[in-house]
Amino acid sequence: MTSTFSRRTILKASAGGVAFAALASPSILRAQNAYPDRPINVVVPFDTGGYNDRLARAFAPFLQQQLGQPLTIINRGGAGALLGHTFFLQQPDDGYTILCTSAAPYLPLNILTQDASFKLEDFYMVNLPSQDYTLMATSAGSDIKSVQDFISRLKADPSSLSVGLQPASADLVNFHILCSANEIEVDAVRVVTYDGGGPARNAVAGGVVDVGFVGGEGFLPLAEQIRPLLTFDTRKRDNWDGAIVTDVLGADADFVVGSQRGWGLHGSMQTSNPEVFKTLVGAIEAASKDPAAIEALKNQQLATDWYGPEESNQMLARTAKVMEQYLDLLKGN
Amino acid sequence: MVELTSVSGAFTLLSSDMNAWLYLLPGLAIGLIFGAMPGISITMAMAFALPATLYMDFLPAIVFLTAIYTGAGFGGSVPAVLMGIPGTSSAVATTFDGYPMARKGQHSEALGVALASSVIGCLASYVILFVLIVPISGVVLKLGPLEMFAVAVWGMLLLGSLAGTHMSRGLLAGTFGVLLGTVGMNTAGFVRGTMGIPWLLDGVPQIPAMMGLLAASQLIGLINTTYLIADEASRKISFKKILGGVQHTFRYPTIIFRGSLIGVIVGAIPGVGSSISNLLSYSETKRNASDGDTFGQGNPKGVIAAEAANSSSEGGAMATMLALGIPGGGATAILLAAFAMHNIVGGPSFIANNKDIVYAVIFSNFAQAMLLFVVGLGFVYVAGYVVRVPLRFLIPSVLVVSTFGAYAIEGSSAGPITLWVFSVLGWAMVRYGYPVAATVVGLLLGSLLEGNLLRTNQISGGDFIGYGLERPWALLIFALMLGSILLQAISKRRRAKVAALSAAQ
Repeated sequence: MTSTFSRRTILKASAGGVAFAALASPSILRAQNAYPDRPINVVVPFDTGGYNDRLARAFAPFLQQQLGQPLTIINRGGAGALLGHTFFLQQPDDGYTILCTSAAPYLPLNILTQDASFKLEDFYMVNLPSQDYTLMATSAGSDIKSVQDFISRLKADPSSLSVGLQPASADLVNFHILCSANEIEVDAVRVVTYDGGGPARNAVAGGVVDVGFVGGEGFLPLAEQIRPLLTFDTRKRDNWDGAIVTDVLGADADFVVGSQRGWGLHGSMQTSNPEVFKTLVGAIEAASKDPAAIEALKNQQLATDWYGPEESNQMLARTAKVMEQYLDLLKGN
Repeated sequence: MVELTSVSGAFTLLSSDMNAWLYLLPGLAIGLIFGAMPGISITMAMAFALPATLYMDFLPAIVFLTAIYTGAGFGGSVPAVLMGIPGTSSAVATTFDGYPMARKGQHSEALGVALASSVIGCLASYVILFVLIVPISGVVLKLGPLEMFAVAVWGMLLLGSLAGTHMSRGLLAGTFGVLLGTVGMNTAGFVRGTMGIPWLLDGVPQIPAMMGLLAASQLIGLINTTYLIADEASRKISFKKILGGVQHTFRYPTIIFRGSLIGVIVGAIPGVGSSISNLLSYSETKRNASDGDTFGQGNPKGVIAAEAANSSSEGGAMATMLALGIPGGGATAILLAAFAMHNIVGGPSFIANNKDIVYAVIFSNFAQAMLLFVVGLGFVYVAGYVVRVPLRFLIPSVLVVSTFGAYAIEGSSAGPITLWVFSVLGWAMVRYGYPVAATVVGLLLGSLLEGNLLRTNQISGGDFIGYGLERPWALLIFALMLGSILLQAISKRRRAKVAALSAAQ
């Protein structure tokens, strides 16, 4: 099993140049000892610069300290994280490959809409500190002042406003929920689809689309250029003004939470390598609670809250279930 | 628009922290080497260096990373000139004339021209940025899908110039490229043309495909040749000729200015950037040049146009990043991550409160551009020795390096497989007289074109004309484009008249 890993490492090293070689090649020379005795790979199933990539790179120094071995971040972006998730599961479950991903919505999406070859149980979430949410927003200079304003305009003429969002996203589901609760003819609304949260937010901030439904955490750097209208959560998040979803849809409001991001392991490791499994869970917990880590990540607007494996896996399973209810919406386009 | 107190603050900042200057040289060198390796992108070079910056102060960290950015931006042009392989996607147009120049034995001149226009383009872009950072950032976010579509269409005009002798074959090759560019999941979530292969969900991997089409196909065609340059006497590496190329560049200030302007503006638009700007600038220059017919056969003006535009895109992308806190592409995303590591969040408040830092970054980039000239001279001198390597050694080594590069950029065998498939395809296209460059342009522009046309349709509810009339910037872009085409037609007729007259006499 280890041999496939090493060959990949060598190949990557020779291709990627000196930087990689310096980190990865000593591992081939060393004998197998107590875990961990060589560098550990962190698979990020997204390209450099996104939230997971930033989270992995910012958290790595602290986790490294706990494990006593360097971490190497491997970006495997593509196909809505399907390629990266598949790649991760193909690696041996020996603890030398761990995962940093947006477990929700991508794992359920891979499984429900992309015929992924894996199940949710193949992954074990150690901690999902980042709990994103859909934020409905408009540009700072817009004449749309509130959710009610938005609703009444669309009720009068559903084609009067354009809405920017990502296809097959929690945001899309939330938009549909808001519309159907207010008897807005959703198919007549001018929905504009974007390839990522970033472009969609830029379109909102620039007033290219009238209103956007996009992950809220990513809006923070653009805070001055937008006006938040509605947070899809039961509590206020990140000090956004505007309404929260229970104000608009009632206390038992139905909505989908946004991305749940954090650290995952092979599910099979619990039985195949229980010792290594315990070491890794302990190290991630210790690093998450390290005051220096909390301080460093907070400054980069990254989350470190410790929810623990039990709650994290439950949250993920719950989200997967809700998403299954809206399968047609996520699949159909 | 320029605040003098902040400017002097910037000088104090830069002169008080000598550390910042120490990182300039290694940054440029790392950038040059990584950029020159086919397949290693600017973003990858910067991502590798990012962890090291954690232990530096803010200004040295940013100086180091932007030095890599600048270095890699030019590094990509070296293999583009010497072997016809764009080291990065922003050097595609450099291959059009740079490589023919090298084949003619003008490799030293071509590298000199490329270096000089890169340095001037980079300087010019930061001058423009220095003066216009606030107004530029005000416009960038307001650009909608119709404006982006207009930019993509403008890029497509290049197809006309690349077609060569058979216009129909050029258009066919371009259309094929656009179709390739639309493979995968589109912006509305539809999946097309993936043949069930998950790697293709994000489209055909652009850089390996491009390397295969442009380079590998050429190299396979060269298999019976002994040297890249047929004439032995021309194979010399001459410092004098490199400097001659540098000097030659200064004769075309208009081309450099136009290229820099296109580069800054296109570079500032998030998601477009230098891989498009070099194509636009090349096509505009060719259209307006009196000797437009010789473009593609080794006209140094083509190299100047491409290089001035791709290196000035850096300034544009930096403007968007500094002013709005928005990454226009991978490189600026890494820079923003470095900002975040030092607890600094880009955006309007950053510029308002830290003008001195912004100006310090701009000034250090002036210095980088100057230094790039010195380091670059040495680098191209050494790199020039490639032409003295017999092709029986060069071709296999380049193919191997490209294969590694293709693996590195995709992180899986999807990269090398794409490279090989497109090498064979490219070879066949060249063999039967279809311009591969047209396919590359189509491939690069395909998704931009389709995605924004689709979004224009969505946003306008199908009423393109009504929506178009509400978008003054889009109208302006279309008007400029039409004007440029008309101007070309007029000047072509005038030239033909003059030629006919002189022939008659």
